[in-house]
Amino acid sequence: MSADDRAQRSEGTTATDRDVEQRFREQVLSELPVLLRVGRRLTLDAGDAEDLVQDTLVRAYRAFDRFDGRYPRAWLLTILRNTHRNALRKRRPDLMDDEVAHRIPDQGAAGRADGVPDAALHDELDPIVRTSLGSLSARHRAVIALVDLDGLTYKEAAHMLDVPVGTVMSRLHRARAKVRAQLEAEGITGAPR
Amino acid sequence: MTLVGPNPGLRISEEPVCLEVVAALQAHLDGELAERDAPRIAGHLARCARCASEAATVREVIDRIRRQRPALDLGALGRLTGVVERFGGPDRPVRPAP
Ligand SMILES: [Zn+2]
Repeated sequence: MSADDRAQRSEGTTATDRDVEQRFREQVLSELPVLLRVGRRLTLDAGDAEDLVQDTLVRAYRAFDRFDGRYPRAWLLTILRNTHRNALRKRRPDLMDDEVAHRIPDQGAAGRADGVPDAALHDELDPIVRTSLGSLSARHRAVIALVDLDGLTYKEAAHMLDVPVGTVMSRLHRARAKVRAQLEAEGITGAPR
Repeated sequence: MTLVGPNPGLRISEEPVCLEVVAALQAHLDGELAERDAPRIAGHLARCARCASEAATVREVIDRIRRQRPALDLGALGRLTGVVERFGGPDRPVRPAP
């Protein structure tokens, strides 16, 4: 968006503005579910997650003229991550950067980090998987949560966690191997679906 | 770091051996292999019963983990969709109330 466009915007909506707004809607709407899922993991609270995504959308809208139009999900996740970190830093200036980065989720496995049971959200039909996810370390649970439950790519998860892609891959491998070992111990791999 | 594109960490040879296939299995099942490499793994799996069986087990573990995905907050999703649709000022087309 040029300075001229911006000046016009303050006076009224132009055809160009409408094109831009249309493109913004097209690029962002389909990414809302993943933003909400990851936002929920970062904040551990449904209301905070909604606020975080809304702040992310406002920032994204303002920065849209600097976005090259490729990979909107990666672009939006970066804004989500930064928005979350800024908010957290304001509220908790004592937290170090890496603490902020590692404040990803205990939610999505046995229960929420705040101790509130959230059983209704989970698949009650597969208690072994549920229990073994709950017994994973926080680091292992975080990669499972972002990749398997929220649907991020390895690179997106690595970016959210501030670790190399190789670390995501090895943690994911170990975490899944633990779940598999539990299932095998119960003798139910290859079980009916 | 760029957030997209094939995983640079894995290079699959043209005729991968079982060891290589098993090492690449997770990335293959997650759709994270380069376009060039995925058919090499898939080709091996079509020919090798042992690797195919390992792949089926890993697939099942992944599927069962993924079924633990929490439900999406549809109320929030609806409200945020409304937020996105309102970006753009006063002369947006009026949407009929549901
Ligand atoms: Zn083989």
